[in-house]
Amino acid sequence: MAQSNRLAAGGRIDRSRPLTFRFNGKPYQGYDGDTLASALLANGVRVTARSFKYHRPRGIVGHGPEEPATLVELDGEDASGNRPATTVPLREGLSARSVNCWPSPEFDLGGINQLFSRFIPAGFYYKTFKWPNWHLFEPSIRKAAGLAAAPKYAPSCGYFEARHAHTDVLIAGAGPAGLLAALEAGRAGKRVFLADEGPEAGGGLLNRNLTIKGQPAMNWVADAVAELQGMANVTHLQNATVWAYREHNMLIVNQRMPEQNSLLERSWRIRAAEVVLATGATERAMVFADNDRPGIMLATSLQAYVNHWGVLPGQQVVLFTNNNSAYPVAADLAGAGALVVAILDSRVHVPDAAMKLVPDIPVHAGTVVAGVKGHKQVRAVRAVPLGGGAGAWITCDLLGHSGGWNPTVHLWSQSRSSLKFDETLAAFVPDSAAQRCRAVGAAAGNLTLDQIIEGGEDLPYAIDPLWRVEIADQKGKAFLDIQNDVTVSDVYLALREGYDNVEHVKRYTTGGMGLDQGKTGNINIIGTVAMQKGISLQDVGTTTFRSPYTPVSFGAIGGLREETVLFPYRHTPVTQWNKDNGAVMYEAGARWRRPGYFPKPGEGLQEAVNRECRAVREGVGVYDGSPLGTFELKGRDVPKFLDFLYSNVMSSLKPGDGRYGLMLSDDGLILDDGVAFRLDEHRWLISTSTGHADAVNQHMKKLLQTEFPGWQVMITTVTSQWNNATICGPRARDVMQALGTDINLSPKAFPFMSFRDGTVAGLPARVVRVSFTGELSFEVNVAPRHMATLWDKVMEAGEPFGILPVGSEASHVLRVEKGFLSLGHEVDGTVDAYDLGMGWAMSQKKPDYLGKRSVQLRRQSGHPRRALVGVLPEDPNRQIPEGAPLTPGGRREATEGLITACVWSVMNDRWVGLALLENGHARQGETAHVRLKDGVIPVRVTKPVFHDPDGKLLRS
Amino acid sequence: MSYDVQIDRLGRVAVFDLKGTADAVGAWVKDILPAFPVRPNTRTEKNGVALCYIGRNHWLLRAARDAEERLEQRLKPTNCPADISIVRVSDTLTFFHVTGPDAADVMAIACPLDLHETVFPPDAVTYSEFFGLKALVTRCEGGFECAVEQSFGDMVADYLARATA
Repeated sequence: MAQSNRLAAGGRIDRSRPLTFRFNGKPYQGYDGDTLASALLANGVRVTARSFKYHRPRGIVGHGPEEPATLVELDGEDASGNRPATTVPLREGLSARSVNCWPSPEFDLGGINQLFSRFIPAGFYYKTFKWPNWHLFEPSIRKAAGLAAAPKYAPSCGYFEARHAHTDVLIAGAGPAGLLAALEAGRAGKRVFLADEGPEAGGGLLNRNLTIKGQPAMNWVADAVAELQGMANVTHLQNATVWAYREHNMLIVNQRMPEQNSLLERSWRIRAAEVVLATGATERAMVFADNDRPGIMLATSLQAYVNHWGVLPGQQVVLFTNNNSAYPVAADLAGAGALVVAILDSRVHVPDAAMKLVPDIPVHAGTVVAGVKGHKQVRAVRAVPLGGGAGAWITCDLLGHSGGWNPTVHLWSQSRSSLKFDETLAAFVPDSAAQRCRAVGAAAGNLTLDQIIEGGEDLPYAIDPLWRVEIADQKGKAFLDIQNDVTVSDVYLALREGYDNVEHVKRYTTGGMGLDQGKTGNINIIGTVAMQKGISLQDVGTTTFRSPYTPVSFGAIGGLREETVLFPYRHTPVTQWNKDNGAVMYEAGARWRRPGYFPKPGEGLQEAVNRECRAVREGVGVYDGSPLGTFELKGRDVPKFLDFLYSNVMSSLKPGDGRYGLMLSDDGLILDDGVAFRLDEHRWLISTSTGHADAVNQHMKKLLQTEFPGWQVMITTVTSQWNNATICGPRARDVMQALGTDINLSPKAFPFMSFRDGTVAGLPARVVRVSFTGELSFEVNVAPRHMATLWDKVMEAGEPFGILPVGSEASHVLRVEKGFLSLGHEVDGTVDAYDLGMGWAMSQKKPDYLGKRSVQLRRQSGHPRRALVGVLPEDPNRQIPEGAPLTPGGRREATEGLITACVWSVMNDRWVGLALLENGHARQGETAHVRLKDGVIPVRVTKPVFHDPDGKLLRS
Repeated sequence: MSYDVQIDRLGRVAVFDLKGTADAVGAWVKDILPAFPVRPNTRTEKNGVALCYIGRNHWLLRAARDAEERLEQRLKPTNCPADISIVRVSDTLTFFHVTGPDAADVMAIACPLDLHETVFPPDAVTYSEFFGLKALVTRCEGGFECAVEQSFGDMVADYLARATA
């Protein structure tokens, strides 16, 4: 069958460029300029799909994004799913398959569902949630229904891109109204962005034979496009769908096939001073029995296939309408050689202007279609008087129907602008704008060309709405939403069951959902609800219009963000050294990629961590502590600000000294911990945890702006101005001396919790005596420009002492052995300082500080609290998973705590853990029980410290 | 995507963070600074030293790398009065230059800012986003300059390579 339905001439296709493609495995031919749908129709392919739920045979219905029936899955380099065949441009080698049918749409085993359709009405699956069991039905429901799967692999070549743009005027749609708006704004010198979803400008004019001032309308379009092309201030994109309208006039455009070789799609995020919506109008379906049979198409789509693609999808045509627009369709079909058997018009009186267009075609006024013969191909329709009666069967192979026109108000509504029901047009039209936007042309309800452009010649629009055909003896399902298999009966059922709000009707029936978002059928659902409830369509209202207007690929949304840049990542000057030395790297808070551990060949995680821990406890180790948040604070009011910020006193510090402290939130829970150092009278340096650096920065600035706007405190983030190598372990001082420094390192001259500025290894440095490992530590801070050099020198100087680089896994073990808290482990958003045994950090001297009152109030309540304890499994070789619950006696009861950490302690030669346990401080020495799925682990409750309980080592 | 651009990751640039009233800062640093920019999101320049308006009583001073020590000696950050703050932050930022005929296209991928010359003139400077990261954006000869937090430098270089591959 070689394009049996292709007309000998006409259409906007390039007949000199034939293309070969495959559909469901069979080869076909089309032309450049075809869509997959037009090429299939040209080849006489009628059954192109099976329906969502009932697996009824379906054909092509529309010609654009409104297509509800034929969704395809593309293979090969086009790999994508659920593409309406009407929007897939044909290209050489294209391979497409129908979705949701097996083995083919012609013969689909799923068609058995049609026999059981009475048992699977709207919402049937909701009822399986209640009885007997959803999971019993879920696999078969998922298998039988649904759409195409997402492609398994990314496109074999090419990239997606997302970019930003700004414009004075964004115009959606390049039909006559959009082009006029673009010309006007462009001539005024405004920055104009014109985006249209089709491959060619012209909108509805592409499909019709209209004139402007006696000339073909497309001549005017060509002139307008040429003029716009000459304007440097105008960006004009075709194949570019405006699919989302967000707040602050931000709209998103998906541009397909940009003119750049390797670019698949481009997403534009456009901020517009003004938006003009020239999105046209969408023809809607008629609702009658078996209105979904292959060969039943939207009337204007028939016109489009004839005029735009040179395809006549059938020979004997019946048109069914309630408005004028079917009459030019009939004239064009007849002109193309079709036998238009009859026009069935539900209106009792057909306007003379319409009748004049079809002098030789029988018009049956006051007549409707009440039935269809043909399962996979329409063979005849039953024409019945509107008021009922026997009627007559009319033989045909094509039925075009037009239920009127809806202004395409999706973007208008997405902007949160309101709609009103226009009784004359029988459609919802734009009302009040919520943002700076306006609708023009058909989108504003001006449905004919003469209303849009001076000199435009068109048949006046007139309609007498018919929301559904109501003939008593109709047999067959009358579909309101073809894509989701929603029938009139389904809506009746929803109303009977109490779902009478239009939003509830949508959820219950799924009408208006899916890829087409009910473009052809939603209004009929609203009309059906209105008729059934006896209220107006205005009172029923519309459901919420949401983006995307048409489906968008995830790739276009994501843009370049994939693979290594999928998530942000940060590095330090030592990152490369870590990688070169075999570190296992992963994120360790605030997007920093840090070394987890440094395994030797053949060594696993635990062996490596044990080795690193032993080095720190018995020799010396070094870690890169650069990611810790660091801030310099300056000003006369810094001391009282820090006293308010931290729970303990900071203002008493002398220059050169530092103090560990806790920051509390308003509710008295721990926000962060860190150290503060006084650099001089008015200059301070504070450090925060890595993960909370940004949060603490915001916290401080918020306090200064809202609570203390008059205080003189100036904060500068210096996290990346200082990097540090922290040398820790009993031999740390030896390594420092080997490095060479002008700082007196003796414990007396340089005690714990102090800092000294000087040189280390010939580099300007600030050395700080703090410890996160519980060992003697020197935190050597240098500018990042010196960090790589410092690191190399530390490794060189430390080699005689057996220095090892230490990863975050070993750091975790070392801090657990000491009982040092960690945010996200012990500090879980529920504990205060007393719970952690850190009441000493809660100043009793200061009259006030952030969180103080909340802590007091909470503790006055006397409610039991979970406190930090150490736990030792009775079996020393038994590891306990972090987060494991503690229950009384290990019984199945409410938990009384949880394990916050459990590590293998090299120093104790056993597993040790920390836990938050109810009334834990008073229960030391008792046995508690961890309850797991596979058993109960008894643990002895201890103090939360397993190494150097007096802290002598870190002060040494 | 084949954009006609040149991407350069600059070496270190001298940057100082200045806070305090213009009078107080001006009194301390005297004649080494250009005039304080009056309008938000603008910069002034004198003898290779640019002063960028960051916020109320907040500026960034930017100069060539070899001017860093000289500026440090003149600015005396550790000795300045209590009512102003001067902090050397040269190491906190990594600078990129995006130049060439398609520079604006690449910037449109990275940055949501309206960089049209009528909106973002030659003396404009502002914080914005660059591939989702906080960035200081300004114009440079033949294109744009963006500074991101130094630790994100490798990631931004990765992103720019992808955008222009």
